[in-house]
Amino acid sequence: MQQSKSSPDIIKKKRRTSTAGSGKISKKAETSTYPIVQLQNVKRIYTLGENKIYALNGVSFAIKKGDFVTIMGSSGSGKSTLLNMIGCLDLPTSGKVKVNNVDLSKLDDDGLTEIRRNNIGFIFQQFNLIPTLTALENVEIPMIFNGESPVRRRKKALAMLKKADLPLEYADHKPNEMSGGQQQRVAIARALANNPPILLADEPTGNLDTRTGHNIMELLKELNAAGTTVIVVTHDPKLEEYAHTTIRIQDGEII
Amino acid sequence: MRYELFIALRHIKARKRQTILSVAAIGIAVMILMVSQAFMAGFTQELYDKTVNNLPHVVVSPQTGDDYIHLYKNIILRVNNIDGVIASSPHLTGEASFKFKDNTKNAVLKGIIPAQEDAVAHIKKDIVKGNFDELAYSDKSIVIGQKFADDMQLELGDRVEISFPNANPMSLKVIAIYDTGTALDESITYTSLQTAQDFYDTGDVINGISLRLADFNRDREIAQMIKNDGYNAAGWSDTNPEILRTIAIESVSNNITIGFILLIASFGVVSTLNMVVMAKIKEIGILLAMGARKSNIRLIFLIESGLLGLAGALLGTAAGVVLALSIGGYPLPQGVYGLTYIPVLVRTNDVIIIITIVFLLNLIAGIYPAQRAASLDPVEAISTR
Ligand SMILES: Nc1ncnc2c1ncn2[C@@H]1O[C@H](COP(=O)(O)OP(=O)(O)O)[C@@H](O)[C@H]1O
Ligand SMILES: [Mg+2]
Repeated sequence: MQQSKSSPDIIKKKRRTSTAGSGKISKKAETSTYPIVQLQNVKRIYTLGENKIYALNGVSFAIKKGDFVTIMGSSGSGKSTLLNMIGCLDLPTSGKVKVNNVDLSKLDDDGLTEIRRNNIGFIFQQFNLIPTLTALENVEIPMIFNGESPVRRRKKALAMLKKADLPLEYADHKPNEMSGGQQQRVAIARALANNPPILLADEPTGNLDTRTGHNIMELLKELNAAGTTVIVVTHDPKLEEYAHTTIRIQDGEII
Repeated sequence: MRYELFIALRHIKARKRQTILSVAAIGIAVMILMVSQAFMAGFTQELYDKTVNNLPHVVVSPQTGDDYIHLYKNIILRVNNIDGVIASSPHLTGEASFKFKDNTKNAVLKGIIPAQEDAVAHIKKDIVKGNFDELAYSDKSIVIGQKFADDMQLELGDRVEISFPNANPMSLKVIAIYDTGTALDESITYTSLQTAQDFYDTGDVINGISLRLADFNRDREIAQMIKNDGYNAAGWSDTNPEILRTIAIESVSNNITIGFILLIASFGVVSTLNMVVMAKIKEIGILLAMGARKSNIRLIFLIESGLLGLAGALLGTAAGVVLALSIGGYPLPQGVYGLTYIPVLVRTNDVIIIITIVFLLNLIAGIYPAQRAASLDPVEAISTR
């Protein structure tokens, strides 16, 4: 109880110092030595009746702040499971996950939400936009839960759409009125909404043609250059060229 | 709250057909509730108007062992001072044998002070012939019921002979005829208190005081206060228990029906909301990934059920009030319960209570689906197709 109440303050302070730092870095991003994500012997075991599936089987690594990482592995190797742990959507069966130096195992649901809200932006293969909302409203969602005022929300959402290179006339379009590439740009703008220090992308180019995929990866590269730590999960070896660091995973283990 | 409301409204707008269906289900239940409540209230009101309104609310009678109240001016002063008593009427009541030509009949003869009796029991409004006030100044006169007059072939101005063992026989002139449409018309006759005292040869005494109360529901309480003073007293609800019983039976069966209807309507809300939750699993996962707390998700669905309930309650009561009022003006064929139209009473209180209860019931019904939505696993939810 005590823990979960005090933790959000700590995180906010940390976030402030980190964004202040990223401001100085400006264009030319430099990878710092600060480990923004740490995993120690993480296991995630799914139990299906008699069977145990070791989706992650003792994974340890650290990701430095400002890095651009691809996590590479074939389908079913445990990549999404890994990303969901870093994104505080899932907890390990055993082992330790630290995001921005906070041990997730010590937090309750609201504590995890708080960490996620302040540190993580999610990008998915399926875009996962809310179909009944416009592009602009979709981008406003994370700010809504962060308590941002409507006027600031609107202003920031437009700025984020611009940052994600979505032509402004699409701001009031619904997802089904946009191409896949445009939808993914909206999703990226949404992921950026609360200025998270970490962007997590699960197969972000999986539903896009090669050219559009390339453009999206270039956009992520730009955002990384501006200071955001980017972690991309993929089975496509071609994406390796965009990254500074590559982690390879097979059958739930780092190779 | 605003943000959850925003999302809840989006859900409702996006699922127009389900929304309309569930609001209609609640609305129809509420409409039936409203109409039957209006009937119930109208019927009760009518019953009170026809009965309690014309009855003395409390009757004071002599101390146990006495036949009469002597020195009654004192006790009248005392009961008039009781808070809530708005009129009192002393009377001397007994039985008498009536004879006109060859017709004879036994009935009650009630000696009254006309103005005071009218203040308590509203007799004057039922007078159909003659002048009731004449009792006050015309000696040896009588007021009879229409039925009594018909049975005895009496007309206004005729003289009827009265007698009784130990009484002084006399003849009284019919000066007015009343018609209440009830059994009283046959059995009760009125004369002046003075005439009754002469007839029964009692001297200046009475054997009862009728009281009218500002609030007839206080009859037992005020009767008890008078009993504490040493006199006997009884409220209308004790002397006419059948009136209360009729109302109680009606309202119990009414309430059971209504309870079931509301319960069914609330199940409708639960299932509608469950459907919404099922359809929105992926969206809930997305919202959780975007930083929504479980409490945000719960609130979204509680607001939805509250809004559906409120919409149903408002539309239902509106439709119910309109329907009740239009039925209320409808004339009845003669003779149904002695009513000329269907009694309907729409009370603001009923409307407010119904809307509040339906709204709360729907909020409660929403708890289960809302809780289900809030406890979804975000990873599973987001990977739902
Ligand atoms: N909810 C679940 N229940 C059971 N097994 C699961 C569940 N989620 C994932 N798995 C299994 O865990 C392994 C890793 O899955 P995942 O992380 O989705 O792999 P990837 O993203 O690399 O394709 C797979 O064998 C998958 O079948
Ligand atoms: Mg995957």
